[in-house]
Amino acid sequence: MSFTEWIFLLGGLAVAGPLIAHLLAKPRFRRVPFTMLRFLRTGQVESRSRRNLRDLMILLLRCAIVVLIAMLFARPLLHVRFKPGGTRSVYYLGLDNSMSMAYSDGGGSYFDRMSESAVDYIRSSKDDALFNICAVASGDWMQSLSKDQALAEVKALKIEPGSANIADFLSGLSRAGRMEYLDDETSVLVLSDFTPNTLRQFVNIAEPAVVDRIDYKPIVSSEPANNAAVVDARVVGIADRRLTINAVVVNYGLVEQNRRLTAETEAGQSNPIDVSLSAGQRRIYQVQIEVDAAGRQQSFLPVELSLSEGDGLRQDDTFYLAVSIPGYEEVNVLLAGERLNDMFLLKTAMDTLSRTDSYDTLRIKQVLIDDLEPSDLSWADVVVCSSITDRLGDLASNLEDFMKAGGRFVCFVTETAAPETAKQLWQRDILAALPGQCVRERTYMQPKPCDSRAEGVDHIAARSLSNYRVDRILLKGFLECEQHPDARLLWQLQNGFGFVYLKRHGSGTSILVNTSVDDSLGSLTKSNASVAFCRYLLGESNQVGEHCFACNERVMLPVGDSGIASAGRRQFWVETCDGKSRRAAAADSFLLVPDPGGIGWVKTLGKPAIYAGVNLPPGETDMTGPDVAELDGVMSRVFATGAEKDVSEAGVLRDKKNRPLWKLFVWVLILLILVEPAVANRMKR
Amino acid sequence: MAHSRKYLDPVFLSTLGNMDLVARCAVEGFFAGLHPSPFHGFSVEYSDHREYHAGDELKFVDWKVFGRSDKLYIKQFQQETNTTAYILLDSSKSMSFSGDGGVSKMDYGSYLAAALSYLMLSQSDSTALILFADRVTKHIPPRSKRTHLNIILTALQYNRPAGQTNLAGVLHTIAETTKRRGIVILISDLLDDEADIFKGLAHLKFLKHDVIVFHTMDHQELNLDYEGLIQFEDLESKVRMQTFPQSLREGYRHRVAEFLDNIEKTTGNSGIDYCLLDTSEPLDRALVAYLAKRKRMM
Repeated sequence: MSFTEWIFLLGGLAVAGPLIAHLLAKPRFRRVPFTMLRFLRTGQVESRSRRNLRDLMILLLRCAIVVLIAMLFARPLLHVRFKPGGTRSVYYLGLDNSMSMAYSDGGGSYFDRMSESAVDYIRSSKDDALFNICAVASGDWMQSLSKDQALAEVKALKIEPGSANIADFLSGLSRAGRMEYLDDETSVLVLSDFTPNTLRQFVNIAEPAVVDRIDYKPIVSSEPANNAAVVDARVVGIADRRLTINAVVVNYGLVEQNRRLTAETEAGQSNPIDVSLSAGQRRIYQVQIEVDAAGRQQSFLPVELSLSEGDGLRQDDTFYLAVSIPGYEEVNVLLAGERLNDMFLLKTAMDTLSRTDSYDTLRIKQVLIDDLEPSDLSWADVVVCSSITDRLGDLASNLEDFMKAGGRFVCFVTETAAPETAKQLWQRDILAALPGQCVRERTYMQPKPCDSRAEGVDHIAARSLSNYRVDRILLKGFLECEQHPDARLLWQLQNGFGFVYLKRHGSGTSILVNTSVDDSLGSLTKSNASVAFCRYLLGESNQVGEHCFACNERVMLPVGDSGIASAGRRQFWVETCDGKSRRAAAADSFLLVPDPGGIGWVKTLGKPAIYAGVNLPPGETDMTGPDVAELDGVMSRVFATGAEKDVSEAGVLRDKKNRPLWKLFVWVLILLILVEPAVANRMKR
Repeated sequence: MAHSRKYLDPVFLSTLGNMDLVARCAVEGFFAGLHPSPFHGFSVEYSDHREYHAGDELKFVDWKVFGRSDKLYIKQFQQETNTTAYILLDSSKSMSFSGDGGVSKMDYGSYLAAALSYLMLSQSDSTALILFADRVTKHIPPRSKRTHLNIILTALQYNRPAGQTNLAGVLHTIAETTKRRGIVILISDLLDDEADIFKGLAHLKFLKHDVIVFHTMDHQELNLDYEGLIQFEDLESKVRMQTFPQSLREGYRHRVAEFLDNIEKTTGNSGIDYCLLDTSEPLDRALVAYLAKRKRMM
């Protein structure tokens, strides 16, 4: 047995701790007068010897635990003598079937050359050898194969649209070496193009794999690499029905690239843009493509950004980008207050919100409630009233029509609310709650809304409000509200009364905010949280968005709360890049697609279709060839061969093999730690 | 009955301090639960009237009083038969043991002796008190006067445990010095050689004494409920022993049980009443034992 980190054996000196404690510790006896000592004496001899035995056993156990911990840190290895003539040859083949291997030059593709090399290697091995083949891009292991089976598997291997995953290969190799082929002679062959991406993964490996022989062969072209790729794209925006996209193009080779970049949709394609890149150069090109006018609903536009033909790898010449186009461009907000300055703070907050890039443009109009006309309601998308006055009762039927048509009615209630009008609106299903008696009791909001996932409010804004610590804002009073049977309580006050109620009416939404009684629409509008509060009340905003993922990421389709709620189920079917239908689970207004099935488009089945683009991971097709010296260094560090082991350990044990012992030590340690208190307790009796 | 037992609780009695009060409390507490009292009506001398209770024999109803007052009264008579009781209280050092810091065996035995004395003298029995350790340290001869109680109680109050136990020797001495036969009540922890003790008791029995043994033991002596490392020190011999009581408990209890069984069997075979008393328990078991013996004598 030897130790990899023998310095930790010095930790075994800590065994002096329990020894000294044992030697120095004197039992402290409590003095007690007694009468019947003659009945105790018989058992006393037995007890003392047993106590001594117990102390000794506990001491030994504790010393053993300390020593074992030290030995565990020193990473023990057991030298196992080879059985003469009893060893088998086991081969591990790590074959890179990532997308970069699709690169093709005048002599054929890298992948074909790799397959030929693997076949030659297998054929040259012993007939009784066992083969374990790992396709490092897909992570699939084909284990314990005979020579013929291995040849068949290599020939059946296909390129996967993704990166090589070296960690999976090495962990599988180590596991198999430890568990199954401990006494066998292990040889490893790695065939890859060793792109910078792959080589980086080898460099990051911390634990070397112990093998008897390592062979590796970089599959590279003798000619200068010729490859350019569209690696990223971002939407700039939509103006005048023209969608502007910034595309990042990289020349991954050594040959100057003169190509043309085109954006293509189902409806048409953009004007080609000339791309000119020198070796290793990276540039951003802006393309514009015409899109249809936005409707009321959000729509998804799949855009393919393609480079014209002209390099050795075509798969990275196209970038898939799904663009979500908002339904509305502007939202008309009508602020109706009892006095003009009622809505000053709210208007300021809405102006701020409107100016932010991530929200709809709000067109705000202020009127007095008493001057409110039916025409105002027909103009507005959102009506915000500072209180409930008799004028609202006059416009009750107009309000009802406004909401049925999809309008949003936000009503604050203060102590000046007209009770008869409120009751009338409540009976017409316009109000989400019926305000009652005013309570002048200071209170706080709950830290978080009770239903932040509710349809009709912006849940991101709800979370944002929690971050503003709205629960520290003191409200000076509230009204006792009776909730409408169809309404939902979105937010509570800390004393249990309702704060925000929401109700659907037709396709519209009615929100009632039980504000404080301080004539300012509540302390919220005066706080730092006012903008977030406006956003919470006004609902989700549709903005131009982009949806593209790398194929090794989890693809999420932004289906939205309303989509999930209207479908009324938690699982949906989607079409993945390979054209297959797969099940996707709904979570947090997204559909989670477990396997995109390659690169291309993932979309929902059914109308309206929601798209997401799936692309190659960045840098995957960087065809820069490996530096030979660097590659040799990395591989010799990652794979510890038999000769190196012998030198590093004992130097003379050439007929021996090392078996890591840490697992055994861990089990023994756990056992001792469990046994120690049991022994201590048992011996007390 | 529950209320009356308050006066039998040794811890309660220890708070009283005054032996006279202790004795009265204990006995009155004991009698408060007994109806009707069996210790009246053994004489022809009129003693007292008391109200008729259901179950009283009609022959004791005073019909003259009934004729005058229309109420039923029972006539009670002074007791005539009496006996001599020798109360032997072990005053060795081991009797000062108090396991949990509560009532010591000495105190418990003293309360018991006081209560028995009070009871006996109130029944006109002559009562003697003998305090002993390795020899007789105090001997109060038997008297049946009421005032004799004060002498006994004073002796109990000023009695201090000291010396080693020589129970067998003391029993032989008492057997040789007592002329008149009577009830010998031994209150002791019996921590002496068992064979010698039995010989002493047999000597008393041979002289036709009725013998009652009240074996007073502390709860800790019976159970050894100590925890942790303990150095025991023998109260009489001052011998020390360091031990871990948990490890000895089972064996100790077994040996103590054997010891007690042996005493009970041997005393039973000799016609000696044996009563094991745990100092944490009320005194009524001892009083019941005495009264049962007294009733058999009548």
